[in-house]
Amino acid sequence: MDNENKNIQLPQFTRGFFELEESFSWIGDGSFGGKASGLAFIKKIIDNNINPQEFPNAVVNIPKMVVLRTSIFDAFMERNNLFDFAINEESDYKIINEFLKADLPVEILGDLRTIIEKVKVPLAVRSSSMLEDAKYEPFAGIYATKMIPNNQPSLDTRFNKLIEAVKFVYASTFFKASKVYFTVSSHSVNEEKMAVIIQEVVGQTRNLRYYPHISGVARSFNFYPSGKSKPEQGVVNLALGLGKTIVDGGIVWTYCPAYPKSPPPFGDPKDMLNTTQTTFWSVNMNTLVDYDPTKETEFLILNNLQEADYDNTLIHSASTYDSRSNKIVMGVGADGPRIINFMPLLYMNDFGFNDLIKKIMKISSDALENPVEIEFAVTIDKKTDKLHFGFLQVRPMVVSVEEVEIDSSELESEDLLVASNRVMGNGIIENISDVVFVNPDKFDKKFTQKIALELDSINKILVKENHPYLLIGFGRWGSSDPWLGIPIDWSQIAGAKVIVESTLFGINVELSQGSHFFHNLSSFNVCYFSINYDGKFAIDWEWLNNQTLVNETEFVRHVKLNNPLKIKVDGRKGLGVIKK
Amino acid sequence: MASKEFNPFEMAQAQFDKVAEILNLEEATRHLLRNPLREYHFSIPVKMDDGTTKVFRGFRVQHNDSRGPCKGGIRFHPQETVDTVRALAMWMTWKCAVVNIPLGGGKGGVICDPHHLSMQEQEHICRGFVRQLAKNVGPLNDVPAPDVMTNAQHMLWMLDEFEAISGAKYPGFITGKPVGMGGSLGRTEATGYGVIFTVREALKELGIRPEDTTAAIQGFGNVAQYAIELYVKLGGKVICVSSWDQGDQCSYTFRRKTGIDLHELLKITDKFGGIDKVKAKELGYEVLDGEAWIEQDVDILLPCALENQVRGDNVNKISKRVKIIAEGANGPTTPEADKVIHERGIFVIPDFLANAGGVTCSYFEQVQCNMNYYWERDEVLSKLDVKMTSAYLAVSELARKRNLYMRDAAYVISVSRVAQACKDRGWV
Repeated sequence: MDNENKNIQLPQFTRGFFELEESFSWIGDGSFGGKASGLAFIKKIIDNNINPQEFPNAVVNIPKMVVLRTSIFDAFMERNNLFDFAINEESDYKIINEFLKADLPVEILGDLRTIIEKVKVPLAVRSSSMLEDAKYEPFAGIYATKMIPNNQPSLDTRFNKLIEAVKFVYASTFFKASKVYFTVSSHSVNEEKMAVIIQEVVGQTRNLRYYPHISGVARSFNFYPSGKSKPEQGVVNLALGLGKTIVDGGIVWTYCPAYPKSPPPFGDPKDMLNTTQTTFWSVNMNTLVDYDPTKETEFLILNNLQEADYDNTLIHSASTYDSRSNKIVMGVGADGPRIINFMPLLYMNDFGFNDLIKKIMKISSDALENPVEIEFAVTIDKKTDKLHFGFLQVRPMVVSVEEVEIDSSELESEDLLVASNRVMGNGIIENISDVVFVNPDKFDKKFTQKIALELDSINKILVKENHPYLLIGFGRWGSSDPWLGIPIDWSQIAGAKVIVESTLFGINVELSQGSHFFHNLSSFNVCYFSINYDGKFAIDWEWLNNQTLVNETEFVRHVKLNNPLKIKVDGRKGLGVIKK
Repeated sequence: MASKEFNPFEMAQAQFDKVAEILNLEEATRHLLRNPLREYHFSIPVKMDDGTTKVFRGFRVQHNDSRGPCKGGIRFHPQETVDTVRALAMWMTWKCAVVNIPLGGGKGGVICDPHHLSMQEQEHICRGFVRQLAKNVGPLNDVPAPDVMTNAQHMLWMLDEFEAISGAKYPGFITGKPVGMGGSLGRTEATGYGVIFTVREALKELGIRPEDTTAAIQGFGNVAQYAIELYVKLGGKVICVSSWDQGDQCSYTFRRKTGIDLHELLKITDKFGGIDKVKAKELGYEVLDGEAWIEQDVDILLPCALENQVRGDNVNKISKRVKIIAEGANGPTTPEADKVIHERGIFVIPDFLANAGGVTCSYFEQVQCNMNYYWERDEVLSKLDVKMTSAYLAVSELARKRNLYMRDAAYVISVSRVAQACKDRGWV
């Protein structure tokens, strides 16, 4: 898995590649990078283990892709003399601009142009760095993925968009966020090399929007089992549209594949209108798009659910709220507000969808001998009535095996700062004397973006001083929606060793981090406590406020403790305590 | 330049006749295509720096324009002959056709030696050349370009004179101009890169990895330099180059078996591509006879200098190891030598295919000039690669299917395209 190029027996790119059945090809030498290596590995597993007769209504494949191996990155950096500049420049914007001005190696230009000549669907230009996605390596989701519509009438325009996107992904190796990762991990930026995947985006065009019917992330180990489900039964997040909703930590549908019909715990059916997906991402196929090659989402657009209804793409994913009976009715046959709960697929097991997910999770974790996280996208072809399952990524999950016992009585002892019965992670930590917390008296959802910036500045200082800290805040960490939580990037809180997430006042949002955020938590062995603000396990705010104040911004306080905290997390039971 | 025994035009006609036979062309078409459509012979009087007047002889040959305006360089050489220019004009026709660009073939030349002319005298020749031809050339009928011993500066003088005569701006009149003055990014690299795009495809076809190959190169001018650069980028190793020594009036081969260093050699090279012998020796190069490049034990030979370099008298010196000869120069191989190479089964990428990158990029320049909108370098070179690779693949596929020698296959494609255009226009 870890860049074992020698085991990758896949064909070199030829200009006839897009006429072939083969889905995977490469250009250049050097490493394929973590993501591409993972896909190359899993391709063989899929080919050998998915029996088409077992799933007659589904087609599983890896969307057609070409990997620009790391020698291309090396040549690009070297020939344009970009290394010193990229390492020393602090502004992402300046880095992007300098990279956009540089020339790609001449030996790949003809191949890139051929790709553009032959491919008529949107393309995802994805990072696949050497450190990314490998087991125990935390570099997931920090580098860029740029999607391009590839639908402009002029071949030249489409070609230019492709090379801009490749340069953008190269530039992302040196963004501020990436550099923080290097600081907090044991790696140096000099070790990193970037391969790039150019891949067809799974989806269909509807009214100038291109998106899949479903995107999903499946994990074969669930750190937050609820109800009857057990950790080893896994968990699946599903969303309408592009997977950005999931990886950014937006609202998605979460279920356990062992119990696909069990709904998440909503009190009233009406609540589901606000607590299920209401927006979705698509590739913007409108040719009138603001020119901004420095923006990762240049060609993406966030749509309201009504647009999907208009596109007629909700048949397999939505139910309808009936206000007269206050009930949720499966499907979109009736008029009314739509609710994205994937009931037709999960309740009726249409296309054998859930069985397919289970099968893929099993064969992937068996092959990697480890719990896995899988990203996928699905379209349903009306004409053939077949489900097309596009396998986008696989990576091993880190599941700690250290045995830590927490007695439930410990959750109620008197010296607690925080306790929780929903904790991710495992182990004992006794070296934290710094606590950074969002002041509950000043917290306001409309200021979450400002809070993110304040946290970033305190994090920088603590990272520089090499002081790990406990972070306490409200709402979903890492959510891209500022109304759901504090919209930080991982790099902005990368020095935190333990994180406490308290729900927002009055809103009980189902816990579901973005997949990249989640992967980083586990890779850095960060313990993650989840508590209800007004629930059983309250935070001792008074004690915190009496500690030595080091730094205070408008919304955030940093205090220093006289003695380090004693933090214990029992990963098997999901219990954790933070003792004063 | 052409020796007394060697007549390039006769060679070009012989090559054409062979293909005409394969294609079974009708008599009128043969007559039309084996001779130029038009020729201009003229005198250019120039006031020299010492106050005297000297008359230089110039030519412009338009071989065929059935597929579009003629395209071809202007050469300054003391041993220029009209037959050389005729042959080169004919090869330009085939070259434009083989890469399928909408241009015909032309060529020009002035009998002069720029080594012994001041820049001002050269400017007078350029302007005089255009004054003689202004009515018969232009963006819509014949577009000149740099060639042997002419460069971007010469083109700019010619453009300026043409625009002065025409009373308007016509950046598409001439190509090979400096970037920013109507030139195209990528033009300088185009011919050399184009040679290597075809070599790369040939290696793929032969199942050889570029990094497992070595090459010997004749010449160290623009074509050779960029061919070396890209070949090395692909992983290949160049072990020798040859270059003309202006002082000694002969060429030398500079060899280093561990691989030459392009940038190191460029630092000791004069503006005509001559490498300093003394400094080369200091850098660890062996200085060998000018013809030594041909007998090196390498996988690839790249003749990138002048015509008539691989001949009956030296063809047998080619090592058994050589698998590919890619002709970066125009007409480097005589028919006699070509026969031997064919019999030995060496894979030849013929000149008008291998070095078509230059004219292809000139065509791109012309297109950009006519639009007055200029492309990025990446865009130019990507288009060049696609054009060259497609042309190569078409030729090699035909060669494979009809069991033809690569040169014959390339001719078959070109000549049939041009013959068809003449027929479609109702000329024959």
